[in-house]
Amino acid sequence: MNERELQDAVGRLPKSIEPPRDLWPGIEARLGEGGGRRARGWYWIPLAAAAALAGVLLGRGTANAPWRVSPLAGLPIVGSAPLRTAGTLRVGQWVETDDSSRALIAVGWIGEVAVGRRTRIQLVVARPDEHRLALARGVIAAKVDAEPRLFFVETPAGTAIDLGCAYTLEMDSLGNGLLHVTAGVVEFEAGSRRAKVPMGALVRTRPRIGPGIPYVEDAPEALRRALDTMDVKGALAAARAEDAISLWHLLQRVDAPRRGQVYDRLASLVPPPPGVTRAAALALEPEALDRYWTLIHRILFRRLILRGVRDIDPRTGTTVR
Amino acid sequence: MAFRDLYRQHAGRVYALCLRLTGDAGAAAERTQDVFVRVWDRLSTFRGESAFGSWLHRLAVNVVLNERRTSGRRERRVTPVADPGLLERSREGEREPTVVLRMDLEQAIAALPEGAREVFVLYDIEGFGHAEIARLVGIAEGTSKAQLFRARRLLRESLDR
Repeated sequence: MNERELQDAVGRLPKSIEPPRDLWPGIEARLGEGGGRRARGWYWIPLAAAAALAGVLLGRGTANAPWRVSPLAGLPIVGSAPLRTAGTLRVGQWVETDDSSRALIAVGWIGEVAVGRRTRIQLVVARPDEHRLALARGVIAAKVDAEPRLFFVETPAGTAIDLGCAYTLEMDSLGNGLLHVTAGVVEFEAGSRRAKVPMGALVRTRPRIGPGIPYVEDAPEALRRALDTMDVKGALAAARAEDAISLWHLLQRVDAPRRGQVYDRLASLVPPPPGVTRAAALALEPEALDRYWTLIHRILFRRLILRGVRDIDPRTGTTVR
Repeated sequence: MAFRDLYRQHAGRVYALCLRLTGDAGAAAERTQDVFVRVWDRLSTFRGESAFGSWLHRLAVNVVLNERRTSGRRERRVTPVADPGLLERSREGEREPTVVLRMDLEQAIAALPEGAREVFVLYDIEGFGHAEIARLVGIAEGTSKAQLFRARRLLRESLDR
């Protein structure tokens, strides 16, 4: 590599990187401890104005963009009228397709949602800082290019939270769903239950229960069945190193007495990164879990993007010589 | 605008800077939190004379470098790990070699010696000049230039492997 190639590569580095976890709760707690004791004064006004201007200059995020909806096939219904040409989608309006129709929704400036057949979906919130749809049934394919946590899809089983990604989401008439992530990461949340679903992984969702345990696209059938029924013993037996994301989630779902078994199996398949101890993982310490996740996620990512190019060791993410 | 909104708007940029300056995902998360707590405390010093982003950026650099100075010879606690979130923002049309080069470059930057890494990140990625880097880092301007030369050489060697 010469100097120019290096400079070109450096020039393509992203200016913004999503933190591996939400850092706001920690900041908020520290502001409450005294960092935030000072009341906001006059300076807040120019600060807010400057920040807003910065957002406008960045071209995204602070200005309201209209939500547009276009027919892709047949005659989707928007509100109560058939959609013949592209139009504006307003908050509260439903888009409904039948066996022969499909539609495309432009999500403000930040992305688009393809609405499949036999789907019913509503625009709930359209603000620069919150783009929210509600999927009652059917299938959508979402592509979003934005800061994390700007785009949400509510379902009867919980909420899909975009962390910068592309995914499909199917929902049957009973509210059972399947999320399949094709780029980036999606978080699926229902109450206190959360699942982080990276590219190349899926998760089933159920009303009143929330997300199940995510699994990779090529997960063995025996593992999928075991995860569906929370058969821990069966899941541990069926899991491979490639299934580490499932065990990482399982670790946090099982009760304390069984956590050790799950951790030991996970650690035998993908050794933990430096700084992650068994005790910290069993105590579900966020920092330890985050570090383990970063390693597992990186390995999965390398395995997927280098498929057919290099053989990647699923235990370490390194190239197999 | 709530402070939380301000955080949401700028967290990625600040985290990227902290991650590259520290070469450590855990430390970067801590420094990012430090930066926003410091922003809250120092709002009164921002008078709108410069862009808020620029003010925030300089404050973030100071937070990271000050922490490094005060932590002295404290050992790095974890092995640097490339942030996969960075890589996964690659969109359709961006093929594997570009993504892999980016991943390898991030890892190579994280593996640079501390002094070389700081100068490289500030000069080549963040666009600071040598005079300002010298003042921020507390080194001579000539040292900054030498560190930059060293960093680029090490990166080229690392990426050629």
